[in-house]
This record gives sequence, structure tokens and C-alpha cells, in this order.
Amino acid sequence: MKEGLRQSMAWVHTWSGLLVCWLLLLVFMGGTASYYKHEITFWMKPELHQAADAPSRVTPAESATLAVRELQQRAPKANAWFLDLPHERNPLIYASWTNPPKKGMSREERRAAFRHQNFTLDPMTGLTTAAPRDTRGGEFLYRLHFDLYYMSAIWGRWIVGIAAMCMLVAIVSGVITHKRIFKDFFTFRPRKGQRSWLDAHNATAVLALPFHLMITYTGLVTLMFMYMPSPTKVLYGAEQNTMFSEVFPNAERVKPARQAAPLADIAPMLQQAERAWGEAPTRIVVSNPNDAHARVEMHRPSGQQLSNIEPTMIFDGASGALLSQAPPPSTTLAARAAIYGLHVAHFADTLLRALFFVCGLAGTAMVATGALLWGVKERQKYAKIVASGGRVGFGVRLVDALNIGAIAGLPIAFAVYFWANRLLPVELAGRSELEANAFFIAWGAAALLAQIRPTRGMWRFQLTLGALLLAGIPILNAITTDTHLGVTLFGGAGLRPVAAFDLVVLLLGALLGWAAWWLGRKANRRAAAGKSADIAQPSTLEAA
Amino acid sequence: MSMLIVSGAALAFSGFAATSLTMDRHYADIHGRGKEPDARLRLRLRILGWLGLLLSFMACIGASGWHIGPVLWCGILSLAAWTVTLLLQYHPRKLLHSAWIGIPAALLATALLLR
Repeated sequence: MKEGLRQSMAWVHTWSGLLVCWLLLLVFMGGTASYYKHEITFWMKPELHQAADAPSRVTPAESATLAVRELQQRAPKANAWFLDLPHERNPLIYASWTNPPKKGMSREERRAAFRHQNFTLDPMTGLTTAAPRDTRGGEFLYRLHFDLYYMSAIWGRWIVGIAAMCMLVAIVSGVITHKRIFKDFFTFRPRKGQRSWLDAHNATAVLALPFHLMITYTGLVTLMFMYMPSPTKVLYGAEQNTMFSEVFPNAERVKPARQAAPLADIAPMLQQAERAWGEAPTRIVVSNPNDAHARVEMHRPSGQQLSNIEPTMIFDGASGALLSQAPPPSTTLAARAAIYGLHVAHFADTLLRALFFVCGLAGTAMVATGALLWGVKERQKYAKIVASGGRVGFGVRLVDALNIGAIAGLPIAFAVYFWANRLLPVELAGRSELEANAFFIAWGAAALLAQIRPTRGMWRFQLTLGALLLAGIPILNAITTDTHLGVTLFGGAGLRPVAAFDLVVLLLGALLGWAAWWLGRKANRRAAAGKSADIAQPSTLEAA
Repeated sequence: MSMLIVSGAALAFSGFAATSLTMDRHYADIHGRGKEPDARLRLRLRILGWLGLLLSFMACIGASGWHIGPVLWCGILSLAAWTVTLLLQYHPRKLLHSAWIGIPAALLATALLLR
């Protein structure tokens, strides 16, 4: 059989897209939310809101000194200290530390212990803030989008990686198979059934194509050592650690001298970095504090370049002398850092971050419309059977149900995650795990209900539920905290993330509500037109 | 700084609006069914469209530098293209009127870039 390139690419596009689209929806939604993971985490820790209200008046050097003083009391023998100083996206001083690993501690246990080795300082008073509730906040959504959950991270990364590779194939084959990519560039024709879904799919895909290509490709590059191990295996064999220390010289840790030496004052080091850069560092890492081999790394705030590796200045912790500016990275490393940096977008300011977020939403819409389109096309084959009272095939029913569970069900899961954050008792043991469980219970329930009854009524029910839950979040926040929209909109700059979070979920809820209303209106129109086939039809988004 | 970005966004919008008018379907959306732009108008619109996009690129570079500027431009292009698409469908006449924003935006961007 002879087929043109375009037809064969259409086949590749359909199947590489359809097989992974529901997982991609999770990845896209989680990844899009991750652009605001700090803001989400901050919203999910209302205990910190009060401290953020007042504008910070301490200098970076003073904040660093405050944090170091507290760390000296709590963790003088730590392996390393991590300090995050107040800046545009972060109103407070965060400090955490790692302890020397005890023998026989598993990676998970160390990670769990690390979660409790931190404190937050109010830059106004210099005192520790109220202990925030146990939550993983935005970090959960961030990890979810490449590690998945309920499985080892390696498995999750492989599954997401395969989905991402399918996505890359789908993007390239989609561009080839698109017959009129320039002629239809600005085309959207509503109320034309399949035509409209195709237009919507094209508009969300083509008009943000640079973003989609970039995010898929760069996503694969972030885990390239895992997905493509052969080159480094050939070059380094079993010595993979040598490879990492050669490729990433900055990541190398100095071994402690096991000789006590007091840590020099941190303020002069910070001021030296501030003078060199014209802006104060926002992140400081102290390794081997109070040891003769102590090292202090000052990280420049991002925003100057694409790279995810920020320039650093390294000081000798015992003497306070500048040891080195990190050497300029090799071209290869710089290229990788820029590619990696594009994915995580640390450089993005408010406007650019919002653009990334919108493009992420467009990506979600592209996957969703693509998945819906398959059902719409496939259903036409059953038009006659359905008209005579028959049923659609198993495949169509399955895809319909999965579509409802993912497109309408996932927003419910996200909303329930935030509701759980406010409603679960603060003192509950294992609270952060329960929040994550709430996410998956909600999603599982939505997906199961969709499998049982994949009907238009189910679409409307789940979309409406998602809309109510999301739009209800600002109300929930008003009831459970003192920092509701009435306060945050007019309060200090530190509370802006809370206001923005409330407004964005409200907007997303309104969007879902509009989708539910639109479906309902379509159903009413059909009923008014007197087409009795509607009742016999098990599910429909498009058939109206 | 931010004025450059605003004018860059307006230029991208106008550039895409002009480009869309070179297409028969969208020209007809505005001027009535079956109407087509003549060859001279089409050429003029096409040049204006590319000029708008080019100047919008320069504005983004001017605002955010060679590292981040191109990324910003891509985002702005997507946003502008969606706006044009929706306006063409729902308010085609408004597109025609609002596309003139490109003229003052071009002057502003040029002035800010040459400063």
C-alpha cells in the first residue's frame, strides 16, 4: 500500500499522541503549576503569611547574619547550611541544613529527616516564625510532573520520559501532517463540530509551537544522563561519578578537615559579592560550617541569563577570603545549562513567568483538544449505529471515559489538594502524605465515575464540581485564614502571592464553569431541536 | 523598560493583524464575502506585517537583552496571535481599528531603542 508522507505522519501523530495524552495532561498541568511552586507553597503555609505582611527593612547582609546566628544554635555540626534571603518572590528568610548521614539510613529516611531540618525567620523581627504546617506545597506538584507518585522516582522518570518522547514525535509529525499550517494560522471557526475542535487544536498548538517544542525537548534534556546513558558509559565506564565531577565542577563538595575553626562573619563576604554584581546574592550555601575547610558559596539571583546555573562566588569560610569566582562554564555545559534553564525558567520575571504559565495552559488545551478530537472523529463511524439505537464501540467509550477522568477530573484533584491543605487538622501525623493521598483519591474517584458512566451528564457534573471547588478556594481561604483577598489585595507586597493564587484559581474555576455552562446550553439546544437520539447516545461532547 | 515591552506587544499584534489581512479568508471576514485584497495592498500589508514583527523583536531585545529577549518575544508572539485569531472570529471590525496601535507603538519603540 502506498501512502503519502502526510497520511503516514497523520497516523503517527494520532497514535503517539493518543496513547500518552492522559499522562501528558497530568505532566502539563503539574509542570504549569510548578512555574509558581514557591507561591503555591507559600499559600499552603498560612502560618507564614503574617510575617510576610510587613515590608522587609533589613539589608541582605543583616538577614544572612540573623540566619547564621540561628543556625549556629540549631545545627553547628551540620554538613551544609542553605540560606534563602528575601527577594522579589520570597518575603522571608528560609534556612535549612543537612546532617552527616547516620549509618544505615535510607535515602527516603534522609529526605524525610531533611524536611524537618529548617526554620523560617521574619526579617522584620529577626525571630523565627510560627512553625508552618506539614505540607509539601508546590514541591509535590513539581515532583509529580516528572517523578509521578506511589512508585520509585526512577520508574516515574522513565514513564514520563517515554511520554515526553511520544510528545516530541507527535509535535514533529503534527507539523508535517498539518496541511495548511500558514493558511489556517489565524483560523478558528466555532460551532462547526469536528472542524472547530481541529481549529482549537491547531490554534493552541501552532501559535505556541516554539513553547511546546522547547518545553518537550528541554524536558528530555533535564534527564538526559538517564535517558541516554550510552555516551557517558562509553567515555567513563563505571566511573560515572568522575564524569559528574568533571562536567559539573561546581557541584563538587570539599571534604571536611575535621578540625574546628570558627566561621568568619558572613556579612563582609555577602557585601563583597554585592559590590561585584551590583545586586545582593539571594542564596547562600555554607558547606562544612565551623570546620577548617568551610566554604561559603554566594549565588547571584537569576534573571540575567537563561542558564539554570547561576554565577557563584566561593569564599573560605574560616578566613572569609574570596577563593574563586566560579570559572566560566565550558561551552557544552553552558549550552546544557541554557537548555535546562529554559525549561525551569528561573530567569523569568513576573511578566515572562505569566507568559510561560499561559503557554503551559495552552499546552494542556492542545493535549485535551487532541484527545477529544480522536473521540469526535471515531464517533462518526458509529453515527448510523447510534442513530438506530446501537452503541459506540469499546474504544470510543474507553477514550471518552479517560478524557472525562483526565480533562475534567484532574482539575478536581488539584482543587481537592488545596482544600485538603486547609481542612486537614494541622497537628495530624503524616499530614503532607495525606494531602497527596487526597489528590489521588479525588482523581481516582473522578476517573472511576467516568468509566462507569461516560456521558455528557458526567462531563457537566465533573466540570461543574471542578469549577465550584476551584472558585471556592478564595472563600475557603477567607474562612480558614486571616489573609483573605480583602487583606492580601491591599496589604504588603509580601502577601501578593497569596492574592494572586486566590485570583488565578478563581479564574480557572470560572473557565471550567463556563465550559460546563456551554455544554449545558448545547444540550438544551439539541433538546429544543427535538432530536430524541440524544438520550440513546451514551456520551457526547461534539455530536451537538 | 516596560514601555518597550508594551510597544513590542502592540507591534506583534499589529504585525499579525496586517499579515492576517493578506489572507483571502480573513480579508473577507472584514470586508464581506468574496472580497479579496488587490496585489498592491497585499504586498503592502505583508511588508507592514513583517516590519511589525521585526520591530517587536528589536523591542524585546532592547527590553530584556539577547539572552531573555528572544524568549520574551516568543511568548508575546503567541499571545498576539491568539488575540488576532479571536478578534477575527468574534469582532473582525475591531481588529481593523485596533491594528492602528502599531503606528504609535512603532514610533515609541524606535524612540526608546535609539535613546
